[in-house]
Amino acid sequence: MVRYFRHPMFITFAVFLILPAFIMKLGFMSLAIEVMIWVIFAMGFNILLGYTGLPSFGHGLFFGTGAYMCGLIQQHIIAGTWIPILGSMLFCGMIASIVGLFLAKKRGIYFALLTIALTQMFFFIAFQWDAVTGGENGLMGIERYALTFFGLFSIPIEGILSYYYFVFVILMVSLILLWKIVHSPLGTVLYATKQNEVRAKYLGYNAVLYKWIALVISGIFAGLAGALYAMLQHGAFANPMHWTKSGDVVMMVLIGGGLTNFFGPILGAVIFIALRDIISSITEHWYIFYGLLIVFVIIFLPEGILGYFRVGQTSGREEVLEEV
Amino acid sequence: MAEFYSQVFNGLVLGLLFGVMALGFMLILGVMEVINFSHGALFALGAYFALSLQPYLGYWASLIIAPLLVGVIGLFIEWSAVRRIYGKDPLLGLLMTFGMAMAFEEIIRIVWGKIGYSIAAPKFVAGPIDLGFIFYSKYRLFLAALAFMLLALVWIFLEKTPYGAIIKAGVSDSEMVLALGKNLRRIRTVVFGLGAALAGIAGVIAGPMWSLKPTMGWEVLMPSFVIVVIGGIGSFWGAVIGGLIVGLSKSLSILVWPRMSELAMYFIMAIVLVVRPRGIMGEKSLLEQ
Repeated sequence: MVRYFRHPMFITFAVFLILPAFIMKLGFMSLAIEVMIWVIFAMGFNILLGYTGLPSFGHGLFFGTGAYMCGLIQQHIIAGTWIPILGSMLFCGMIASIVGLFLAKKRGIYFALLTIALTQMFFFIAFQWDAVTGGENGLMGIERYALTFFGLFSIPIEGILSYYYFVFVILMVSLILLWKIVHSPLGTVLYATKQNEVRAKYLGYNAVLYKWIALVISGIFAGLAGALYAMLQHGAFANPMHWTKSGDVVMMVLIGGGLTNFFGPILGAVIFIALRDIISSITEHWYIFYGLLIVFVIIFLPEGILGYFRVGQTSGREEVLEEV
Repeated sequence: MAEFYSQVFNGLVLGLLFGVMALGFMLILGVMEVINFSHGALFALGAYFALSLQPYLGYWASLIIAPLLVGVIGLFIEWSAVRRIYGKDPLLGLLMTFGMAMAFEEIIRIVWGKIGYSIAAPKFVAGPIDLGFIFYSKYRLFLAALAFMLLALVWIFLEKTPYGAIIKAGVSDSEMVLALGKNLRRIRTVVFGLGAALAGIAGVIAGPMWSLKPTMGWEVLMPSFVIVVIGGIGSFWGAVIGGLIVGLSKSLSILVWPRMSELAMYFIMAIVLVVRPRGIMGEKSLLEQ
């Protein structure tokens, strides 16, 4: 039994469960919700980046689209919470599956180049298509409607504390799901594709199909995070789709050590958002620190914090490959 | 009709400028397998250096010195940081230059301030010229001529000199160049400096056409990406043709549907990806691995 209590998953849940007791009075609640949303986003993204080894630099595309879809479904189809969230996930999964048809055949630097261009394309569409997305002003008026359970009873989530726990429950479900995916046969094949795509192919796995699956999974989780973020902000904006923001989620994965550890993105998201908040409250020149931090992390901590301290799985095999 | 002609000219001018940018970007991408996100920031630095140097040195001297300074910055960032990530995960190089782009932009904001500047065109090319069918800005024609000359110089360098041959070989297979006993380390440094200098000079000559602001690099960075995808990695003509296509698509779509002018190049890119996934002039490259 003790084994379970010491599991990082349990510790994460425990920390986020009792966190409001400490930060509620300090006014950090919405920041904490933001952290949880980014954890969902970064963990889903890591299926693609860390486990399948596909360097996407355009996942803001799915995050932003998820946010818009949430608002659009609420305003045009049904004023609820479940349907807009599920609809966002479904829609982002669809977009991922379509762009995946082109992307899954690529890898490495070419993959990255295409994802950057694609996210920028969606940014311009969202930014210019006033009639649907609200253009520059964003799509405003996204509500946090009470959760209803088959009409039996309902729970309001408009308040910041209740919304916190709503996101917390979704975070728990997402992390457990992702853990299951990573430790399933599917996850093993994805990891094999990362290590050596040709060998995975010769073992009879359709590598392109598996890369496509990884892209769709990460797209769905990004859509979920985007929808939750839209509800947090009561609006959806084109900003997260801009390529200058696409680095955020990648940095969260990298700083924490997501490339070598399942739980890296959690640490990364906490550190990233805390740093951003602290530094930008001290100086308006946050971006110079952000830029130098990136360069520093890549030179000195390319495997992130958990990787540096050799927590979790090591990647000894990869190092050998690099030296050759 | 006059508007159509002038947009065609705009497109060609822009296309040549984009070609210069994309060429430097592509050389770095090809030889080092690094997506140089800081390419736009180097472009902006070129323009700002010219802004500060011109009152002291005049137009021609700053046209030479500002890009050289940017080239030196390029050499420095290659030497101090970028060379540490060669052969590692491609994501690292991309993120590193992304961080540098952020830092450079903020440095520009600190040094030159947030407000925009405009550089006056040099006197001998100020004002419009009567081409018979339209009046057109003399400076833009001058810019086109400069960009054309630069492209020609780079072409001569790549095609007619032994150094160029090594760099071209490096684009198609850098490890093989190493195996043949060339100093790959030095080649990479030189290419990074060269690419940075090309971005810098593009910035200098674009300065009088656009207003200078810290974010001006963005406007040329994304076209560089798209041009490389459209034209194909590793091809000089791919960068030039891609540049012209993107420039023309941007200016001609203003005539039809102004709001979508930023998007036109992405649609062309999507079409190219469907029809010719490696780009118009692209050959099978190691980067696809």
